[in-house]
Amino acid sequence: MTIDKAYTVPPGLRVLSLLLIVTGIATFTAGILIDPQRTWANYLIDSYFFISLAIGAMFFLAIQYITQSGWSSMFNRVPEAMGSYLPYAGVLMLIFIIFGSHSIYHWTHHSAVESDVLLQHKSPYLNLPFFIIRFVVIFGAWISLMVLLRRLSLKQDIAGGLTNFHKSEYYSKVFIFVLALTFSLGTFDWIMSIDAHWFSTLFAIKNFISAFLHGSAVVALIVILLYQQGYFPKLNKAHLHDFSKYMFIIGIIWAYMWFTQYLLIWYANMPEETVYYQTRISSEWRVLFYGNVVLNWLFPFLFLMLNKIADNKYALLFTAAVLMVGMWVDLYVQIMPGSTMSDTSPMGLNSIGLVEIGTFLGFLGVFTFAVSRSLSKANLIPVKHPYLEESLMHELH
Amino acid sequence: MYNTKVRGVLVEGNKSYADITRDIIEPIESKVPDWWKYAFIISIGALLFGVWASYITISEGIGTWGLNNSVAWGWGIINFVWWIGIGHAGTAFSIFLLIVRQKWRTSINRAAEAMTVFAVLCAGLFPLIHMGRIWMAFYIMPYPNTRGPIWVNFNSPLFWDVVAISTYLMASAVFWYVGMIPDFATIRDKTASKIRKAIYGFLSFGWVGSARGWLRFEALAMILGGLTAPLVISVHSIVAMDFATSVMPGWHTTVFPPYFVIGAIFSGFSMVLTLMIIIRTVYKYQSYVTDSHINAIAKILVFISLIMGTAYSTEIFIAWYSGSEYEYYTFFNNRISGDYTIAFYGMIICNAIIPQLFWFKKIRKNIILVFIISLFVNLGMWFERYVIVVTSLSKDYLPSNWSTYTPTVVEIGVYVGTLGLFICGVLLFLKFIPMIAIHEVKGILKPTSNGRYHKK
Repeated sequence: MTIDKAYTVPPGLRVLSLLLIVTGIATFTAGILIDPQRTWANYLIDSYFFISLAIGAMFFLAIQYITQSGWSSMFNRVPEAMGSYLPYAGVLMLIFIIFGSHSIYHWTHHSAVESDVLLQHKSPYLNLPFFIIRFVVIFGAWISLMVLLRRLSLKQDIAGGLTNFHKSEYYSKVFIFVLALTFSLGTFDWIMSIDAHWFSTLFAIKNFISAFLHGSAVVALIVILLYQQGYFPKLNKAHLHDFSKYMFIIGIIWAYMWFTQYLLIWYANMPEETVYYQTRISSEWRVLFYGNVVLNWLFPFLFLMLNKIADNKYALLFTAAVLMVGMWVDLYVQIMPGSTMSDTSPMGLNSIGLVEIGTFLGFLGVFTFAVSRSLSKANLIPVKHPYLEESLMHELH
Repeated sequence: MYNTKVRGVLVEGNKSYADITRDIIEPIESKVPDWWKYAFIISIGALLFGVWASYITISEGIGTWGLNNSVAWGWGIINFVWWIGIGHAGTAFSIFLLIVRQKWRTSINRAAEAMTVFAVLCAGLFPLIHMGRIWMAFYIMPYPNTRGPIWVNFNSPLFWDVVAISTYLMASAVFWYVGMIPDFATIRDKTASKIRKAIYGFLSFGWVGSARGWLRFEALAMILGGLTAPLVISVHSIVAMDFATSVMPGWHTTVFPPYFVIGAIFSGFSMVLTLMIIIRTVYKYQSYVTDSHINAIAKILVFISLIMGTAYSTEIFIAWYSGSEYEYYTFFNNRISGDYTIAFYGMIICNAIIPQLFWFKKIRKNIILVFIISLFVNLGMWFERYVIVVTSLSKDYLPSNWSTYTPTVVEIGVYVGTLGLFICGVLLFLKFIPMIAIHEVKGILKPTSNGRYHKK
């Protein structure tokens, strides 16, 4: 078998992704009719979930270019394909902002702002027109840089040489530069402003690390799944070990961020900050709150510590799956309490049912569709990447 | 598989293995040059100034410093944090770049680790002197004692500091030393002097270079590296918590620990850059510390500078967004405007703006400019600590407590003294220790250069 076998979307996968989308639309519609607040909150969770994966994968790609990593160059098309989900994400997010933001964001209610001094103070920033402008700028920047990097990579396949490669490296830097500001603002806007009174300077960075962690995990996941179907015949234990190092180390950084934010707020014990955690560590939220740490850090940390496991593809698949659950729980704990809090349910909802599962499946369908479509549109392996040989012959010593 | 056509050559000048040994041992074998003697005398002078200042501080008390009830932390803590930050360079170079398999680290890590050890030593002096009653220093060690139920406060980040820094100092010194063993053996085998043969022979623990020896050596290096990597993060995180666990406006912000760690690596790398440019020029090591090494460090600096800029703007943004009038006052009336604008804008310009010049290849290739920019970063990181320590303390919640702060000559003396100590240590390092890891450079020579490897 040749290494650059072209990828074609298996008909089964296409049908599956469409089925998932239909399921998603059906549960979403039902959910909107029954409980719009809860449904929109789920919509936001899943939106942000897959945006994070796409951005995390793009960051993974950019880091590979900038650090001149050779080992991963064979797989570059996978993070590129994950990045190509961004336009879909933009449309889905836009739908949310137009129709759903009123259900989630307390500060969009004029009556709430009128009686709330703090919200009045924040209104130059937290108001819908500016919110939408920021959304457009953020997504505009992301999508244009994604398209640019993708084009350069495709050009390289035809032209070879180093020109496009150096350009890719340069625009990877630009991407990181842009990402630093846009991802922070996006996260403050879409998630932190749900608890409109609360603030934490670390918040966006923690979610960024989360995106990087889970994006890398999904890159590994897709690579292994493709390998199972006969693509990437040159994938070996050294590659797998490198992928697991990504999950292991970024998992530690994730836990560091999680703990830092918690410790500092706990230690200083200022009411305006502790209120955020007060909801989450009390009552029925507690299990998910601590479970989040187990799923995203403790499990991968202990599991991947053994070398025998760290380079086993089934173990990696399993870890990536656990991390996906972990990320969903992380976002659920971030988004749900604030957005579904009301007079009747002061702690917010805490039940995981059909709405949660169905909406997630719908987004998963769109993501699968976008990624597989993008993978089939170009060579699965960047055939003229200057480090390709290093990647194919990669070994650890 | 190292593609030299794309990645460039790491060891230039067609060096053979024998050339590498000769080049790097040369300063140890030959007499010290004149500039070294002058520099040494100057650094000893600075050190003596520091000894005098420390003597005054200890014999007369902290009252000889410019501190007051409000600004109780001044230059002492600023310089402590500054030195600790610089002390992150070695570990960042050796460990992080080892983990991510960046081969270019090999010609720089030895000097960076040396810097780490000396910088952490300098840093450790400040809390001791700052105690005022230095003879009480052993009180910070928790042990069952005869003083009754007097224990350190385990809840205090200041105590965590003691633990983290002493562990870090020990771990990085061991890591540094272990890495030098094969090189000491090389000197033992090559030197012409009997005294040196005896001393370096002793220091090399009877290293013979057997395959088994190398196997153990590399395993140990990896284990020590793995242990030190979390340590280096913990040290500056805890230094950040000295500030961030408080309720002071401008100090209590959740981003502090990662932002301090990144800032520490920033200042460490810039100090490495400063020193490596001097070393490679003076000792003519351009073949080992090549332009592309400098280029790579400059790229790392521009990246970290971006993170610093993001952190600064996030802090300012949240100071407004939080709606807390105290935070707002600290950032907008006591940093962006007010009495401390020089330090604040110095910090912004030196850390977040000037390093952005490294986007341009022409500037990265101009060694003099790179050198100047690296100095700016060192200065900017000092300003940053000044801004954090002084502005928050000078104007806190109670306006009747507000006061200003200027250092006295005694405080300046202690700082100058640590500079002297640092330079003195680096000079001794340059003379007595191979400043480039001979065995590591040899290890990467074959795959990463186009040389002949062996003499004909």
